Amino acid sequence: MKLALLSESPADEAALRVLVAAVLGGQPQFVAPGYRARGWPNVAQLMPAVLRHLHFNTDADALVVVADADDTVVHDARHEAPGYFHPQCRLCQLRAVHRQTVKKLPPAQGRGRVVRAIGIAVPAIEAWYLCGRDPGVTEAAWIEGRVEGRAPYTRAELKLRVYGTDRPSLPHEIACALREVGRQRSDVRRLENDFPGFALLAADLRAWTPSANKR
Amino acid sequence: MIASIAFRKFKALRNTRVALAPFNLVIGPNGSGKTSLIESVMRLKTLAKLPLATGAASRQRADGPAIEFNFAPPHEGITAQLGCVSDLVCDTLRIIPEEAAGWAALRDELADLRSYTLQPEALAGAAQRADGARLSSSGHNLAAVLAHLRSAAPAAFAGMRAELFRIVPEFAGLELVEEGGQVSFALQLTEGGQVPADELSQGTLCLVAVLALAFDPDPPRVLCIEEIDRGFHPRTLREVRDALYRLSHPRSAGLDRRPTQIITTTHSPYFIDLFRDHPDEIIISKKQGRAAQFSRLSDRADLGELLGEGSLGDMWFSGILGGVPEER
Repeated sequence: MKLALLSESPADEAALRVLVAAVLGGQPQFVAPGYRARGWPNVAQLMPAVLRHLHFNTDADALVVVADADDTVVHDARHEAPGYFHPQCRLCQLRAVHRQTVKKLPPAQGRGRVVRAIGIAVPAIEAWYLCGRDPGVTEAAWIEGRVEGRAPYTRAELKLRVYGTDRPSLPHEIACALREVGRQRSDVRRLENDFPGFALLAADLRAWTPSANKR
Repeated sequence: MIASIAFRKFKALRNTRVALAPFNLVIGPNGSGKTSLIESVMRLKTLAKLPLATGAASRQRADGPAIEFNFAPPHEGITAQLGCVSDLVCDTLRIIPEEAAGWAALRDELADLRSYTLQPEALAGAAQRADGARLSSSGHNLAAVLAHLRSAAPAAFAGMRAELFRIVPEFAGLELVEEGGQVSFALQLTEGGQVPADELSQGTLCLVAVLALAFDPDPPRVLCIEEIDRGFHPRTLREVRDALYRLSHPRSAGLDRRPTQIITTTHSPYFIDLFRDHPDEIIISKKQGRAAQFSRLSDRADLGELLGEGSLGDMWFSGILGGVPEER
């Protein structure tokens, strides 16, 4: 299977390659170079163009997209109801962008559509990196803290915990990201349990079959 | 080093003050005082080498053009005032208090301020080998600086090369050719062959220069760089920012040395995007008519909400943040 990645930084991309391979249980082929967005809402703005490009100009089978939730509404089980769409939920938004884009595209490159796997890191991908290392960092802890009106940690604190500095160089950021996902690559169940935004990405990946996107 | 600068009737900076952080990215339309800010710093350096103006004659007219500098500890008790004969030319320096005990030490530090407007054509040229202690303001002696770094600080030179080849992986070697007291450089291609400096892209030349500054084992106290984004692909700007952070926040790079204060300018929304986590490092120059005012992005009360809505670069371009050209 040939995959494309749309992420927010080279460090995110390096970590996602490892996590995607861990979920799929093998090393997929990635379109290079990876597609890069400049944070939200640029991810959602770029996604239709990336999908069209992949569909018509490449033999990629699927697009993997991961974005940070920041302070937005966190996707939950209610959002999974058929036809439900939460306008402030980034996962709902990205799924809608994919749905709206691919439904207009005619078959091309021997396949019907480019399938998707979408994950949202709550509140940022550094929280995923800390999974299993810092038990206080979970999606549930973030949601609970917000309900109580006090976030348990900030994005800046998460970055400091992962990188040891608030101004990491890119090589340091990539090294730290790879160190943390390398710790998790043999078993991603804890990551799926603590971060439903990752579990949904994993579920999308596992739903892919060789025939999933055939005409 | 420099804590703040207050301007009165100096070029477009008619009445404004800017507090400076260890890292300062100045954005704004053309003619909004970004270059004037850097010029004022360099004027301070020049005048600090000369005898101070003293006595009543040195005092400026209360409403005349002037630039006033305040400094971070240990020089927080000293104020430096540039006296200007017009709103374009400042030619005297007065310090307050006039007999400040720390002036000699501060003057030594002011001698170590540098300003760059990197010129790709200059960067590519051969240079006098003996002229390599400091990169010149245009970068015309880059080859000599590289040769000096190689001989005087081989570990730093090796680190600079490694960083260059990591960022631009098509290159795997840096060749310095010395002949008749002159030195030039070329980059060796990973796949064989080499590209002489005058055949390198502008972005690659500027990257070599920025890395030479970032890996200087004895960096200046204050480093000003105009249009830091010049020639760089947007995806490379993160590396450029990291190189500057290596100077302004050396501990973040694992270096135990004195920080260099950075003042740089850009017109690139992509470079501005990289400061989402540190909006306090962005200074916006807003121009109304012929007068410009500085403000810190982090002074905006609604900054948190704005950061949730989009990228800083896009917001700057849109005009939400100010610092855009006036339209009629």
